[in-house]
Amino acid sequence: MIDISVCVGSACHLKGAYGVIQKLQSIVKERQLNNDVTIKACFCLGKCTEFVAVKVNETNIFSIAEEHVENFFDEQIVGRLDN
Amino acid sequence: MSYFIDVAFDSVHKYGEELCGDKVEIIRNDDCTIIVMADGLGSGVKANILATLTSKIAATMLSEGISIEETVDTIINTLPVCQLRNLAYATFTMIRIQYDGNIYVAEYDNPPYIMIRENRCLEIEKREIVLCGRKIKESNFKLEAGDVLTIVSDGAIHAGVGGVLNLGWQWENVAQYLVRVSAKKKCAKGISKELIDACMSLYAERPGDDTTVVSVKIKKPEQIDLLTGPPKDKGDDGYIVKEWMNGKGRKVVCGGTAANIVARELDREIKVSMDLIDPEVPPIAKIEGIDLVTEGVLTLSKALKIIKAYVDDFDESNIVYDLNAKDGASRLAKMLIEDCTRLNLWIGRAINPAHQNKDFPIDISRKLKIIDELVFVMENLGKNVQKKYT
Repeated sequence: MIDISVCVGSACHLKGAYGVIQKLQSIVKERQLNNDVTIKACFCLGKCTEFVAVKVNETNIFSIAEEHVENFFDEQIVGRLDN
Repeated sequence: MSYFIDVAFDSVHKYGEELCGDKVEIIRNDDCTIIVMADGLGSGVKANILATLTSKIAATMLSEGISIEETVDTIINTLPVCQLRNLAYATFTMIRIQYDGNIYVAEYDNPPYIMIRENRCLEIEKREIVLCGRKIKESNFKLEAGDVLTIVSDGAIHAGVGGVLNLGWQWENVAQYLVRVSAKKKCAKGISKELIDACMSLYAERPGDDTTVVSVKIKKPEQIDLLTGPPKDKGDDGYIVKEWMNGKGRKVVCGGTAANIVARELDREIKVSMDLIDPEVPPIAKIEGIDLVTEGVLTLSKALKIIKAYVDDFDESNIVYDLNAKDGASRLAKMLIEDCTRLNLWIGRAINPAHQNKDFPIDISRKLKIIDELVFVMENLGKNVQKKYT
């Protein structure tokens, strides 16, 4: 089970956190990963100066723009799924 | 028991006039609140001057503890005499409410006040005194929590004359309407606004006379402890959260980082809601035992906008805000308007990393400014505000 927490604090909200959440949700739906990936929202992760902050499994924090969500998912999430 | 006196008023002026001939003056003292509504003879500039002088003199003198006799005498000898009608005249209602609930009312030629307790219109015994040849009705009684007292100018009683209604609205009908309204509105502003809107409809948006409604609602004190922004010094986190939790009020956190700190210090889980109700307002979160958890500056500035629009009688922007909407800003605005007589603010001055982002439109000074504005509108609503910078 992979938890993806997307920051919806002030800065990330303005940078399009919702776009990121929707994109992630649609990917999860498309690939039928509902039982393997949970998308959550959270408050400030302290990465306000970059793109939208996204935390994976309480450990790694990534900074991703809306248009890179698919890439991020393929590179960072798909690999973890196999484990 | 010390009550909170929630006072609000709304006015519309006669169609075609630029000034209102009714004037309301409210003075809050340490031991009492003085409310005066004056209705100047005629309409427009002349009426406005008469009403302004009357209400200002009356409120100032009464709040300084000067007797009603002397106050009336001063008003009558000060008002300029109308050349056309050769008289100086403004009707008035003066109210003095002590915070223990004792109320004194002096009425001169205005429609009688409407006193509502437990969904019933109360009849209050009045004494008549003659001062400077004018008959003034005095009354004294004791208010209780939940009581609603409303004064209206004759424009409200006559609403609809010559248009929708032959005889106008009549005092009894206004009183009945108010009984219904006060049962469903929690604050004075809601009541005065609803009644003035009804008058406007009866006048078909073209009032035939200046119309004013002043509502007073007696409330038990309700506090809100609002924590916003992390303290400047991280070492203070624990102490500040503890102190804030010790406050007697309902607990509100505005700020993602502050919310994280609260959750950490209280060792409780924070759950951010995924529902985006309004794209302009970030979602709320839940921490057990905390009444409302929201994002910071964006929510605060939207809540401020809502409160301002709510307070402003006829907002130019014409945006209708729904106080019952479920997004964070509407919830916050509703709590601050309806369930708060005293607001305790804990304002954190830490520089948020977000503030250093050149693309982020809001920096710490902007945030402090929004809070200052919020304090200003809350004080205008008659609420006590305490600020504490951390």
